[in-house]
Amino acid sequence: MTAPQAPPIVLTTQALVAGYERDLPIIRGIDLSVMRGEFLTVLGPNGAGKSTLVKAIAGLVPVHGGAIRLDGQDITASPAHTRVRQGLAFVPQTENIFTTLSIQENLQLAAAILPKDKRQARIAALYDMFPDLSARPRRRAGQLSGGQRQMLAVARALVVKPSILILDEPSAGLSPKVVGDVFARLRAINRSGVTTVLVEQNVKAALGVAGRALVLVEGRVAHEGPAATLGDDPVVAELYLGARHSREAMAT
Amino acid sequence: MSPQILVDGLISGAMIGLGAIGVTLTYSILRFANFAHGEFISWGAYFAFAVSGLLGYLSGGLAAPIGPFSFGWSLPIAAVASVALTAGLALLVDAVLFRPLRSRRGAVIILVMASFGAALALRNLLEFIFTSRPDYYTTNLQIAMRLGGGMRATPDQLLCLGVAAVLALAVHLLLTRTAIGRSMRAVSENPQLSGIVGIDIRSVVRMVWILGAGLAAVAGIMTGLIVQIRPEMGLDLLLPLFAAAILGGIGSVPGAMIAGLIVGLAEALTVQVFGAEWRAAVAFVILVAILLLRPQGLFGRPE
Ligand SMILES: Nc1ncnc2c1ncn2[C@@H]1O[C@H](COP(=O)(O)OP(=O)(O)OP(=O)(O)O)[C@@H](O)[C@H]1O
Ligand SMILES: [Mg+2]
Repeated sequence: MTAPQAPPIVLTTQALVAGYERDLPIIRGIDLSVMRGEFLTVLGPNGAGKSTLVKAIAGLVPVHGGAIRLDGQDITASPAHTRVRQGLAFVPQTENIFTTLSIQENLQLAAAILPKDKRQARIAALYDMFPDLSARPRRRAGQLSGGQRQMLAVARALVVKPSILILDEPSAGLSPKVVGDVFARLRAINRSGVTTVLVEQNVKAALGVAGRALVLVEGRVAHEGPAATLGDDPVVAELYLGARHSREAMAT
Repeated sequence: MSPQILVDGLISGAMIGLGAIGVTLTYSILRFANFAHGEFISWGAYFAFAVSGLLGYLSGGLAAPIGPFSFGWSLPIAAVASVALTAGLALLVDAVLFRPLRSRRGAVIILVMASFGAALALRNLLEFIFTSRPDYYTTNLQIAMRLGGGMRATPDQLLCLGVAAVLALAVHLLLTRTAIGRSMRAVSENPQLSGIVGIDIRSVVRMVWILGAGLAAVAGIMTGLIVQIRPEMGLDLLLPLFAAAILGGIGSVPGAMIAGLIVGLAEALTVQVFGAEWRAAVAFVILVAILLLRPQGLFGRPE
């Protein structure tokens, strides 16, 4: 999917400061590098700033300091719609498909930035990859089940053959079985060569598929390491116990 | 009750419908009620008036009536120019007023108030240039044709109905069958996601202004042709436009057109039954009734 001579780092942020209002930074100086082909998961308690970080990278939250580079190019100031042309695909946490449009139209919208003669074939390739979606392409996306919606959102993001795929909590609101399906798909997509960044609350599942993990707390990177060993870290476990308790408390 | 109200209602309803399409697109895609939309109707009528007057002055042949119609080739040519000029005017108003306000991400009410101000300024400018005395594209009289069933219509009126139907269908097809229409529907549902999938929102916004103002210009020219040209003609249509846009369901082009016809028919019926002084109340009653009973409109989906 990527040229052999492509640089080994896909995405970096340098001392990134970002937030919804200028005097209230949510992301407070984050240095991050994503290596080509890797599967990175971003963890952290509720309100840590995980969504804000990836939204800033996608161009949806104002950046107040630092820089974002994609494939060596500075994209800090570019609007969201040009970042996807440069190879950055983002699947937001909520409202990540157009529910009033059909499945086919959702994919056509994404394909619009490809050369005209490539669009049809690329959409067909995605239907092959996601047979669930190809059964009734004229169906309104709003009628899909939770798992199918996530699949459509991922398929939509992959239409442009991105150099990096960033997903914000694709497991939210899905049953454990469907979460398993979704994560298996993400792992397969990553193995096919797509660099993947996955923001997750579902720590166990995320550490199961990711190669490297990063823990965000209050807008800063608190921990970073191989996914396989991060779960054993007592400090991290402690942090997550707390996070899980608060989540359960909120759910009840 | 005379069957003639059917003809009168459909004709004025067609003009309301064309204007309401612009209102519904602005409301659903730019997300504010544009009270300056009526002024695009008036400006469209006067742009065509100025251009057709100039053409007629340059060449008397262009002013000679075409077939059964009351106007010469100068008017259709002027209409095309007026659509372009009115679209340009809308883009200009957006560039100097609405776009700077949008980029500050201010409250919607600020945009709405700004549109009030723009309406006032545009209307006063028109009155300053052309005075408030009514104008006409042509002074030729037309004989109404019998349509059967006791109904009559002039060739001009029938032409306007036909043009309105074709334009409404064209906009509907543009929205449902083309790439730009798909992008417009996407931005209408979710602007943020639209950016993420690579849609340049600015080009969609431009398209909304061009379509809305272009259709408003056509509605203004038709009103000018069938009734008369006055600086307040757009203002008088404003309430019917909003009644039709909301009755049809915000964002629905066929809804706006059909609701425009309903408002037009209701007005004609009211004039017949209660008298002309009640006409202005019709749109208001429809607006209040729909907001209370079915706020999503006839063809809209509940939120
Ligand atoms: N649209 C917004 N405007 C202003 N503040 C916001 C907005 N969205 C989030 N915040 C604030 O930013 C902080 C970080 O929120 P963010 O959504 O990034 O957290 P998160 O780590 O993704 O949490 P979660 O696990 O609940 O998704 C929170 O304090 C939140 O209140
Ligand atoms: Mg989040």
